[in-house]
Amino acid sequence: MGGGTRVGRVRGLGSAKHGVQHWISQRVTAFGNLILVLWLIASLIYLPGLDYGAVTGWLAQPLVAVPMMLMLISIFYHLKLGLQVLIEDYLHEEGTKLFALLLLNFYAIGGAALGIFSIAKIAFTGAAG
Amino acid sequence: MAKTGQRPLSPHLSIWRWGPHMTVSILHRIAGDGMAIVGGIGLIWWLFAAASGPDAYATFMAVASSWVGYVVLIGLTWAFFEHLFSGLRHLVLDTGAGYELNTNKMWATVIPFAAVFVTAAIWAYIFVRAM
Repeated sequence: MGGGTRVGRVRGLGSAKHGVQHWISQRVTAFGNLILVLWLIASLIYLPGLDYGAVTGWLAQPLVAVPMMLMLISIFYHLKLGLQVLIEDYLHEEGTKLFALLLLNFYAIGGAALGIFSIAKIAFTGAAG
Repeated sequence: MAKTGQRPLSPHLSIWRWGPHMTVSILHRIAGDGMAIVGGIGLIWWLFAAASGPDAYATFMAVASSWVGYVVLIGLTWAFFEHLFSGLRHLVLDTGAGYELNTNKMWATVIPFAAVFVTAAIWAYIFVRAM
């Protein structure tokens, strides 16, 4: 059984034991994105127009607003995992890497929150401009 | 470790040539991370503008329907299908299948062409319908 030396364990070297969770979440959200983004692309193509009234009226429907919110969760979760790998692969200086990962978390959670709130506002306050 | 004989001495990590599997690998990363930044910000801007009112939405639409906007939207369409097809390839590879040299090379070659083809078909449909 491995696990490194005692000094190595104290210094926190080695696996953080979260790799499998990352791998599985990446694939689950990939399927979510596959279904929901294809649905978004098809919907945008078949909408009668992309003007303000048409888009807000479309977004206000429950069976559009809910899949859109789920899509934002799936997309931002997936892009957080993907950009995390990019940062870990290319940024080797600990401070820069930590700062980039911090910004990434703010972007992923903040972006999803702003998107979900925007859809909720359109859905709850109606599309009256 | 004693018998060396005719066996290779080392893996020769410095001796290699570029192959389609490398192209599809780096395209997966470029398409994915491109969408993660440009697509993510664009999507949120669109929804935020729609939630902010007609004026904010008009500003978004003016940028989205400029030539820069079309370049970004067509680029995102390509990135989505490149990443999607390449991602499905990864799901097959995850099962342990598709590593035979010819099979691997075939799918790695087909995927970038398929992504360009689907992107062209979608935008051709959009532009033809708009005329």
